[in-house]
Amino acid sequence: MTALAQYAILLGLTLGTVAFVYAVYALARVIGRVQPEPGKDVPATAGTLSRDPVWVRYHAKYYGYALLFLAFDMEMAFMYPWAVVYREEGLVALLDMGVFLAILFLGLLYGWSQGALRRQ
Amino acid sequence: MTIAIVLLAVVVGAYLVAVLERWSVHGQFSLSGPAVSALALLGRESLLARTPDRLFFEAGPILLLVAGLLGAAVIPLAPGLIITDLATGALFLNAALAYVLVALIMAGWGPNGAYGLIGGWRFLGQFIAYAMLIVMPITAVAMRAESLMNTQIVLSQTQLWNIAYQPLGFVLFVVAAMGLAWLPPLDLPSAPGDLAGGVEAEYTGVRLGILRLARMVIILVMASATVTFYLGGWLGPVLPAWAWSAIKTLIVAALMLFGGRYVPRVREARYLAISWKLGISLSLANILLVGVIALVVPI
Repeated sequence: MTALAQYAILLGLTLGTVAFVYAVYALARVIGRVQPEPGKDVPATAGTLSRDPVWVRYHAKYYGYALLFLAFDMEMAFMYPWAVVYREEGLVALLDMGVFLAILFLGLLYGWSQGALRRQ
Repeated sequence: MTIAIVLLAVVVGAYLVAVLERWSVHGQFSLSGPAVSALALLGRESLLARTPDRLFFEAGPILLLVAGLLGAAVIPLAPGLIITDLATGALFLNAALAYVLVALIMAGWGPNGAYGLIGGWRFLGQFIAYAMLIVMPITAVAMRAESLMNTQIVLSQTQLWNIAYQPLGFVLFVVAAMGLAWLPPLDLPSAPGDLAGGVEAEYTGVRLGILRLARMVIILVMASATVTFYLGGWLGPVLPAWAWSAIKTLIVAALMLFGGRYVPRVREARYLAISWKLGISLSLANILLVGVIALVVPI
């Protein structure tokens, strides 16, 4: 099977899942509809209307981690192809990636020493 | 034909995971329980909150189910019994599971309710904690198998399962998988008793049913991914291949569902600190260790 045919199957699976979900929704609608009643559609906030708007800006207190995460996530893009040819290339591959990972790990340690690894 | 069999296996597996989950939460083993709950949810009203983001509200549960099923599509149950044996299967599994985060944030944001939104944002923090610990152990698995193809990864464990070859990676992966499937003690987005259901708070009726189904599929996918990467997939004596996959997957699912119940819930900040200080160091050590072993030992 070609790669394109495989992805076509995965696309079909996605569309089929969406169709399945809407079929279940249709079945539920046949069984009964929502009765409009006052106060029923208020989001759960301990029985009262929400005092403050919910869609506001939140402080991402984990931003130190998030920045380090970007660096590590980029590293993974290199790691996967490297892992596949690792045994073929042998010691060279180990040393190459070892240096790269050592630099990255030093970066993590530096970030740690500067207080990046805590909730700000 | 293969696709139909695998999808049937996913449905049966998700049902059995639901039975196990019910057993772990309520302490009663009931084979008919999840079916009764599903029928009850089907019959109930599915309310729409007052001022929702309709697109996100509807898309959340559907996207979660799609992510779970795409993950299930690249996991082999037996030789030849796999929907698509992609050349980049292990990577595709990561890519599919990344949408769990998107779906949960959509489901939290959509209904415009405080509890749901807090649950969604919490999961974003949790994602930054578990994400690297999913991908780095998989790299070490791929190093041994010299392939990202999931059937190849299973076959590479013929002589020795990866759980013995890289036990450190196994532990890291299972804990991160529990974070991904938001199982206790890492169940921050739903947090029963704390957030009134979190992302599930505003979902009722059939939409809640789809959300719960999607979560069962995600748990099943994480258990079978653990089996594929670390427990030799379908490999085993006497019994047929599919039976070994089923048995191992259910054991891992039971381990993940029951094990975490004895640990208090971990706060997001603490989980982030543990994952980055201890987890990342250990998974880098795991890669180095597997790298040395893979060059010295030929298996």
